[in-house]
Amino acid sequence: MKYKILKAIDISGLNFLSPVVRLAYRENPRKQLREIGRFIIVPIVAFLVFLWLWSELAPHHRTKAGEVPTPSVVWEASKGIWLFHKRETAKADAYLMSSADRLKELHATTARLSELDALEAKANQKITEVKTTSKEKFDAIVAPSKLAYDQKREQFRAANTAREAALKVEAGKLPTLGADARLAYLDKIRQNEIRTEAGKEELKLLKAKYTEAQTKTFPEVKRAQDAVTSLAEERQFLSKYMEMLGKDSRESKSAESSARLSEAREKFLTATDGDLFRLGSAVVKTEGLLATTEGSQYAKPWTLPKQIVRSLICVFTGFLVASAIAIPIGIFCGLSPTFMAAMTPFIALFKPVSPLVWLPIIMIIVGGFMPEPENHWLVKALDHVPVLKEYKVDPMFISSALTVALCSLWATLVNTALGVASIDKDHLNVARVLRLGFASRLFKIVIPTALPLIFAGLRISLAVGWMVLVAAEILSTSQGIGKFVNDMYTNGSSESFAQMFVVVFIVGIIGMFLDRIMIVFQRLVSFDSGAAAI
Amino acid sequence: MRTKYLLLTAALASGLAHADKLAVEKDELKLGFIKLTDCAPIVIAKEKGFFDDEGLSVEVIAQSNWKVLLDNVITGNIDGAHMLSGQPIAATIGIGTKADVVTPFTMDLNGNGITVSNSIWEEMQSNDPELDSDKPKHPISAAALKPIVDDMLAEGEKLQLGMVFPVSTHNYQLRYWLAASIIHPGFYSESDVAGRTDAEVELSVTPPPQMPATLEAGTISGYCVGEPWNQQAVAKGIGVPVVTSYDIWKNNPEKVFGVTRKFADENPLTLVALTKALIRAGKWLDETDASGKLVNREEACRILSQPNYVGADFEIIKKSMTGTFTFQKTDVRDMPDFNVFFKHDCTYPWYSDGVWFLTQMRRWGQITEAKPASWYAETAKKVYLPDVYMKAAEMLVEEGNLTKDDLPKTEDGYRTATTDFMDGNSYDGKKPIEYINSFEIGIKDDAALSGK
Repeated sequence: MKYKILKAIDISGLNFLSPVVRLAYRENPRKQLREIGRFIIVPIVAFLVFLWLWSELAPHHRTKAGEVPTPSVVWEASKGIWLFHKRETAKADAYLMSSADRLKELHATTARLSELDALEAKANQKITEVKTTSKEKFDAIVAPSKLAYDQKREQFRAANTAREAALKVEAGKLPTLGADARLAYLDKIRQNEIRTEAGKEELKLLKAKYTEAQTKTFPEVKRAQDAVTSLAEERQFLSKYMEMLGKDSRESKSAESSARLSEAREKFLTATDGDLFRLGSAVVKTEGLLATTEGSQYAKPWTLPKQIVRSLICVFTGFLVASAIAIPIGIFCGLSPTFMAAMTPFIALFKPVSPLVWLPIIMIIVGGFMPEPENHWLVKALDHVPVLKEYKVDPMFISSALTVALCSLWATLVNTALGVASIDKDHLNVARVLRLGFASRLFKIVIPTALPLIFAGLRISLAVGWMVLVAAEILSTSQGIGKFVNDMYTNGSSESFAQMFVVVFIVGIIGMFLDRIMIVFQRLVSFDSGAAAI
Repeated sequence: MRTKYLLLTAALASGLAHADKLAVEKDELKLGFIKLTDCAPIVIAKEKGFFDDEGLSVEVIAQSNWKVLLDNVITGNIDGAHMLSGQPIAATIGIGTKADVVTPFTMDLNGNGITVSNSIWEEMQSNDPELDSDKPKHPISAAALKPIVDDMLAEGEKLQLGMVFPVSTHNYQLRYWLAASIIHPGFYSESDVAGRTDAEVELSVTPPPQMPATLEAGTISGYCVGEPWNQQAVAKGIGVPVVTSYDIWKNNPEKVFGVTRKFADENPLTLVALTKALIRAGKWLDETDASGKLVNREEACRILSQPNYVGADFEIIKKSMTGTFTFQKTDVRDMPDFNVFFKHDCTYPWYSDGVWFLTQMRRWGQITEAKPASWYAETAKKVYLPDVYMKAAEMLVEEGNLTKDDLPKTEDGYRTATTDFMDGNSYDGKKPIEYINSFEIGIKDDAALSGK
């Protein structure tokens, strides 16, 4: 049992767990405790130190986009993202609910709305109070700096005018005087300029203080504001939710359409005069409307969870394309040094190209193949695939996936070639002796021997692909994590900064899982477990 | 309890009083927008259920910049979009990407501002001490900017300014404002598509949401953009709005709703249904109470501040949308017409608006050859679809969602001549050649073309 668990841990690359297992089986406890300390406690402590440093340092760095968010702010932001997702899902669900459920939900929503009245009144009162007190404080801070600036400015202007007036009076006397006096006068003008400049500098400092004072904000105002905002947003959501449950639900709309249909049919069947063609077409038209209403869905906006799934689908599409190209070419490169020589310039030339260069090129090419994306056969075909149809494959998606493929295939290609080339010559000689055909030599000897290195390459490819994808999505505005980041960045709201930090962690955690999965595969095909890294 | 139950069942049963829905050709649509407050009609039509009432299921998707948005409309990735007025016109006559794009609906009037960086503002204040006050006199002309431009030119540099797209309203407004104070913003030509021939300042393109960051980084010293990006600059303390587009031209046309000609031809009823929903959204946005206060704007700001729409903070969006505009922290002014979505016959696609944009494209050389006056009228007729608008509006009157008084009264689709510009110039949409020739800075055409 113990060895089975240890083996599983080893294969999944979670080696830090093995001391725990060994300790549970009382194998050399001292050593195990030391290992647990090193491989479990130390990383946790390091992470805690990181969090502490982050929360201490973040508030000290102020940017124009707001303060750098602390861990707790980031946590709040992630809850906000989740709340938005939940609300949009609730609306979509409400649209499809049956009338019994809708009635129940309507009751609950009406109750919550009446609760909100009281809460909002309280929050509004609170913010008025806080605003008055903070306004007083604010004025107390700003007034002196404003006064100082205004006074100085008056002084400066008065002094300036006085000096200039004096100089002008003196200039009046100049015409009767000679060159020396005139040159001396020039010096006076220069002096005047210098004093004016000095005055301006002084004034600038005071102005800066005045402006600085004006930027003073009060955390209690922000808190009160946030409370009001969150209530107002809830009200906004609930009133829309009510509509989705009531008159805008699919059931109500279908009922409306079928009422209209029976009315139209009635008219058509009983009419004696009048244009029967017109009445008949009205019936057919209404039938069509009813059919579309019954099949309709709420047009739900993209939310982060759905975008994450789409990104994953996109990265795996790209990864599969990359593997399908890289592994065969890699094998041929490994088998034939001549072929390898032919491929070398391409590998050397295209490998270092950035995804940000590939993407626009691919977008133009894909756009050329799909002049009318909605009617393109590929898009139409994928619209019938159960899971994919929800994630709407479009040219942007294809371009992003191909960019991922182009950037990630090199690692697999090179590793495959290396794996194939380094096959033990004896094995190949044995194959020759046994007179194995090309196919059986390929599948019985070449690929199995090269598998560990192929998988090492695939692991790097997937990691590269995941990194490339977010950049590609930002540029192509293909729905996914990248689009989310771009949207949040362009929103420029007080939340945006924290929301982008949330994405950092999401991308990191998913990347880590993808890597773990590839490690498992790599270990499964390796004969010796030593080849895999952490 | 009983009344509550009745209310609920009434809500469930839904009104059967709606008039006949149009048999739309396409009921699932994707509409694009840029994160600006003037995308409001599209967002409101979705959130207030006006699209639903027309039997349309609409997905609203943010686009990263105007070029991407236009390309997506042309390639069919999205069905229609919130567009710069100049975009359908420019696409139709082939400035940039050539494609037939049309518009049945003007989304709003006004709504832009020109913001300069703090340091430029300080220099302007020292050039004109009148400006150094908590509430300087408006409108502020570019006269105080002129010495700065000249100083920089003497040092072999050019002041860098940002606008959002070569054929954007913002480009023309910024140029208008500069040229009114005899600062040459540069001509476009066949070989100079950046529009910098003879320029004393350099204008470059930056997507709206990136304006504040670009200004902060110092890449540009000022910009012309829509909301909330001017208010954002004030709130973050990185710039000062000096003038709004309302000050440059009172009630200037701003964004339109654009679709391709192909979409309009293939889906005529869908287009009418879309226009109906958008007109209702415009009316809802401009609803006022007896005292003239805009009653729905707070709710609109709340909706727009959702992350999938404009996404900026509610407080920032509110600053320009609820009848005021913040120029400096100390300078908040009443501007009830800063955003107009329905008043002043705003939503009707006026031919004269199209002609105005054409005259500006000619004035600055984007239209490279002289054209007769009749060409301006014909081009406007190709792009603007008042017939679709009137059909939609009349249906709304029948359904009781609009009154007869709300319909624009026009014979020929041209607004009457106006002198509401900051430089007092007069514009008559029927006399494009005279208008082009009336500017001190700008390309001049042969006066004989006006009769042709």
